[in-house]
Amino acid sequence: MTTAEFGSHNWGMVVDVDKCIGCNACVIACQAENNIPLNSQDRVERARSISWIRVERYWEGDFPDAKARFIPIMCQHCENAPCEPVCPVYATYHNSEGMNVQVYNRCVGTRYCANGCPYIVRFFNYWEPVWPESLRNHLNPDVTIRSRGIMEKCSFCVHRIRRESRSARSAGVEIADGAVQTACSSACPTSALNFGNFNDPNSKVSKMKEDKRHYTLLDQFGTDPNVIYLAKIDADKKVGSGAAASHD
Amino acid sequence: MLVPVLAIGGLGVVAVMGVVAAFVITGWIGQPVPVLGFEQTFDQPIDFPHTVHASLKQLDRVAADGQTMEGLGLDCTFCHRTVTTQANAGVPPVGFCATCHQVIGAEDNVQLTILRDAADIVGDDGAEPVNWQRVHRLPDHVRFVHEPHIRYLTANPSEVKNTTDGVTEGPSGVCSTCHGNVAAMQQVEQVESLKMGQCVDCHRDNGAPTDCAACHY
Repeated sequence: MTTAEFGSHNWGMVVDVDKCIGCNACVIACQAENNIPLNSQDRVERARSISWIRVERYWEGDFPDAKARFIPIMCQHCENAPCEPVCPVYATYHNSEGMNVQVYNRCVGTRYCANGCPYIVRFFNYWEPVWPESLRNHLNPDVTIRSRGIMEKCSFCVHRIRRESRSARSAGVEIADGAVQTACSSACPTSALNFGNFNDPNSKVSKMKEDKRHYTLLDQFGTDPNVIYLAKIDADKKVGSGAAASHD
Repeated sequence: MLVPVLAIGGLGVVAVMGVVAAFVITGWIGQPVPVLGFEQTFDQPIDFPHTVHASLKQLDRVAADGQTMEGLGLDCTFCHRTVTTQANAGVPPVGFCATCHQVIGAEDNVQLTILRDAADIVGDDGAEPVNWQRVHRLPDHVRFVHEPHIRYLTANPSEVKNTTDGVTEGPSGVCSTCHGNVAAMQQVEQVESLKMGQCVDCHRDNGAPTDCAACHY
């Protein structure tokens, strides 16, 4: 039995909202890493833009005491994913590594999954993706270019996971904690995004999610996401007034 | 009057359906018949003989000095250098070929002249890479990496199918499992279907992951 065996990990992410400064570096990194088509003004206006991760901005309080808040949202890789059972061709499913997988070549584009997803992180390719000539050599060869008519979403940078697990198996070692970083987490300047293995109790993310600030998005739906959020710390709020109260 | 017309029409329909069915069935079982341009061999810009370079046997090929040639028996990894470490096996740059071929091979050899011209040894139009045609293609939605396959088969020689001219040891001995005996091919052709069913069968037999996301991402 070699180490770094397939299925021995439960990949997940811990997002420390308190550290997020809303810089959108994760969004750019994701767009570049995953061959996402350019979101032209025309597409954004028609609500057809594709963005596997987005930073939502919202206001807390009323003017003039309003505070700007940011929260990065990507596919939550739910254990009980609403998108999975509705797919008629089994193109999206939960694999043994804790990831919600989108199989592009199976997808027939019914868009049921996008309607089922409460986080709105699934995107449909309404057009064949095109890039300007100057960007053609910038495409990532490790990521499939999704053609017209299929869904796509955050893959937890599965190509990076594969690359790291391959080199770990080749060297006969376990994948070191922090060796696998998604494009967004490696781009985050404040380490608000943290990627790692929840199966390892000593990993950074496993320790982080024990923080009492932890919560999951839209918890009431019972989707059991693999993306855990740590709530914003507000200096104006009294300690003990409900740490997770600010996320709704 | 009406009956023969109907009969001919019916026959025509049956004939067309038969052709379509035959095309679908052959495409399903093996490779589609090359009516739509799915040829398995390609005319390469240089008539490169794998036999001369990789074979270990006497060849039915006569060298410029009139003697019968013998295969050089080069290891596959001698030219396909990245096959044991990376996703792609790699085709050597033309300068790599020229390392030997600026000396080896007759000066008036037409094929080698193309190579030497490309390597800027003869001619004066600057070095240009040779536009080799890819023979083994996989769709864009499949991620195949040579490295783990070479590593596994090298460690488990009992799983190796076919042989490369009798070689069964080392990284070169395992290539034949998917590529056939390339050392005996004057022009490389695809011998295995390399369809998903073949991949999954082998993965299942050898305890490799059959999760979709192992290859499709």
